[in-house]
Amino acid sequence: MTESDRSNGGIPDMPVAPVRKRSFHISLLWVVPLVAALIGAWLVVKGIRERGPRITITFKSAEGLEAGKTKVKYKDVDIGTVTAVELGPDLQHVLVKAELVKSAQGLISENTRFWVARARVSATAIYGLGTVFSGAYIDLDPGKPGKPARHFTGLEEPPIVTTGLPGRHFIVESARKESLEVGAPVYFRQIRVGEVVSYRLRDDGRTIEAKVFVHAPYHRFVWKNTRFWDSGGIDLKVDASGVHLYTESLATVLAGGIAFDTIQESPEPLEEAPEDYVFRLFPNREKALEKTYSPDNYFVLLFEGSVRGLSVGAPVEFRGIPVGKVIDIRSEFNLSTNKVKIPVIIATEPERISFVGTAPNRESGKNLFEYLVSQGLRAQLRSGNVLTGQLYVALDLFPNAQPAHVTHGGRYGYAELPTVPSPLEEIGSKLSSLLDKMDRLPLEQIGADLRDTLQGAKRITTSQDLLNTVKSLEAASKEMHLLLKTLRTQTTPEMDAALGQARTSLAAVESLLRSDSPLHSRLIAAAEEFAAASRTLKVLAEALERDPQSVLFGKGQEE
Amino acid sequence: MMSSFMTARQLGYLSCSVCHLLCSNCPESGAEERRRCPRCGARLHSRKPDSITRTWALLLAAALFYVPANALPMTTVTALGKAQSDTILSGVIYFIQTGSWPIAVVIFVASVLVPLLKLLILACLLISVQRRSRFRPRDRTRLYLLTEAVGRWSMLDVFVVTILVGMVKLGTLATIEVGPAALFFAAVVVLTMGAAMSFDPRLIWDAGEEIHD
Repeated sequence: MTESDRSNGGIPDMPVAPVRKRSFHISLLWVVPLVAALIGAWLVVKGIRERGPRITITFKSAEGLEAGKTKVKYKDVDIGTVTAVELGPDLQHVLVKAELVKSAQGLISENTRFWVARARVSATAIYGLGTVFSGAYIDLDPGKPGKPARHFTGLEEPPIVTTGLPGRHFIVESARKESLEVGAPVYFRQIRVGEVVSYRLRDDGRTIEAKVFVHAPYHRFVWKNTRFWDSGGIDLKVDASGVHLYTESLATVLAGGIAFDTIQESPEPLEEAPEDYVFRLFPNREKALEKTYSPDNYFVLLFEGSVRGLSVGAPVEFRGIPVGKVIDIRSEFNLSTNKVKIPVIIATEPERISFVGTAPNRESGKNLFEYLVSQGLRAQLRSGNVLTGQLYVALDLFPNAQPAHVTHGGRYGYAELPTVPSPLEEIGSKLSSLLDKMDRLPLEQIGADLRDTLQGAKRITTSQDLLNTVKSLEAASKEMHLLLKTLRTQTTPEMDAALGQARTSLAAVESLLRSDSPLHSRLIAAAEEFAAASRTLKVLAEALERDPQSVLFGKGQEE
Repeated sequence: MMSSFMTARQLGYLSCSVCHLLCSNCPESGAEERRRCPRCGARLHSRKPDSITRTWALLLAAALFYVPANALPMTTVTALGKAQSDTILSGVIYFIQTGSWPIAVVIFVASVLVPLLKLLILACLLISVQRRSRFRPRDRTRLYLLTEAVGRWSMLDVFVVTILVGMVKLGTLATIEVGPAALFFAAVVVLTMGAAMSFDPRLIWDAGEEIHD
């Protein structure tokens, strides 16, 4: 621009470039960086707005997890990516950092559980086969809504039951672990309806508490009186009716499992078990379906003799029908009286006996027992097995027993039933009293008397008088024989002739009286005539009664 | 130091950039006015108009796009049900990890280093021209030539992705999809080429001449 005066300096006839006015000065090209900036800004804003929660999950191992590649999935939808896998500060755990999408914000709370989904093979199923090719991913279960959280502890095993699965949790208690494996199936009438979710030893170390999940709609079949039992393994039983093999399914043989069923004991309506209702686990199906005892029907029996042969679990029978069992046997020594008493606690089921008719004041089981005791009900120890000497408790009616009554609130808080000594004890005591009596008998005197009597008898049998008597008896019998012989030869033919005459006269009478005989028909005719005559007489009598003057004036004409 | 040369502008001439006709600059016309080549009708200017401003604008846009081009995934490879997104740098790292050093170097140079160097060189040139620096104008001109020459090769990456996407369509076995970075990368290449073209290398020499005068 400073050199403009030097134009046309060297070369002549140079064409002059025409000049045009420029319309505007700001270069339109600035639009390009502006657009770039806008796009960049949009990307940044979008990135920030779409940035979801960043979470840290602690795992024991990072097997199969890769930063930048492993996905976080929920219901098989990608909701985030693992951004870093590093060792925790304690060098024992792995911290997995993941960035989730924004929509996952509402999904994550303190109740959310994370686990690594890998291919797994168990006795009952194979899970996550897809991860063999696609690699492991982090799965999650949102859980119940709760406070937001950013740090989680991952599960080592995938949870059996995830939130939102319809069904119900129950708690099953057991003294032993039995088949309470995590993931063990739960059967209802041999249909698989649920799983064992978890189990743990209670803090007191006595019972194992297992959480069981029953899927909908089967959770409706779990009532408050439902029984759960261990169905693991094979239940083999040999008895008089043959060999019984019982198992829920082949899987339970390998993996164990539990089953449940309900027996309707009473006509009362069944009550559905609520969430986390506690059940007892029975060791097998038979035990589970046995009758249970209500605490109202516990009694304590006091025995004074030996209870050798009586064991806990021994039956309580009423004339051979089991109505309960022995729960506990204790012993008690009274220092002031030096007497031993053995309290035996029994549980009974009075429902097993059906009562007919009504008893006075019969309202509940207690009153029933009071009534029965007043009628002579007593407990007694009896020998159940001669060979083993095992005892059982028999409840029976002893109408001749001394009056007794039920003592409420006896030992250990149970009602006390009166007892009678066992038959053996009874025989023993009777035998001893018999011997006492025999001791007191004047045996020598009796012996002397007896000898005298025998001597007298001997004298009589050997005397001459007796011989004479026998001889005259013989002569009398001979005479008697002769008399009988005469009677047979002479009297009998005459008797026969008399009998023949009587028969013919009876036949004549019979022919006279037969229905087709002339006498018979004539008799009937006479009787009919007599009846007609009596009717006429009756009419006459009525007419006379109604109209006495007709005897004089004849029948009236006005009617 | 190169002041012994006379420039067309110093002598009052204009050279048509299209048909290379040399014509005299009208003395009475200002710098703001536009002239046209009397022979071919193309615009005439002794220096590219608004060269520095335009170059800056394009350079700035390219620099802005350079960020998402490298931060966002270039390709998404789905192989056997496993999807994996790769940025340019993660691809380079992948090739280094698998031992393919030459490929890693080629990708790194062509896709990361060259665009970055272009941006830096152009920025340096612009700043030096604006500050009327007289520092090594010949070397700076060489740098400019290099930038222009290498520009088209930066598209290599985009071409590779394009070919891969077209070729690898194996259904569920393997599929490659284009990531958003490819678009930004292409924009970076186009914008830097535009920036290089709108820069007038004669400006490098103008500073020395002005001082000389």
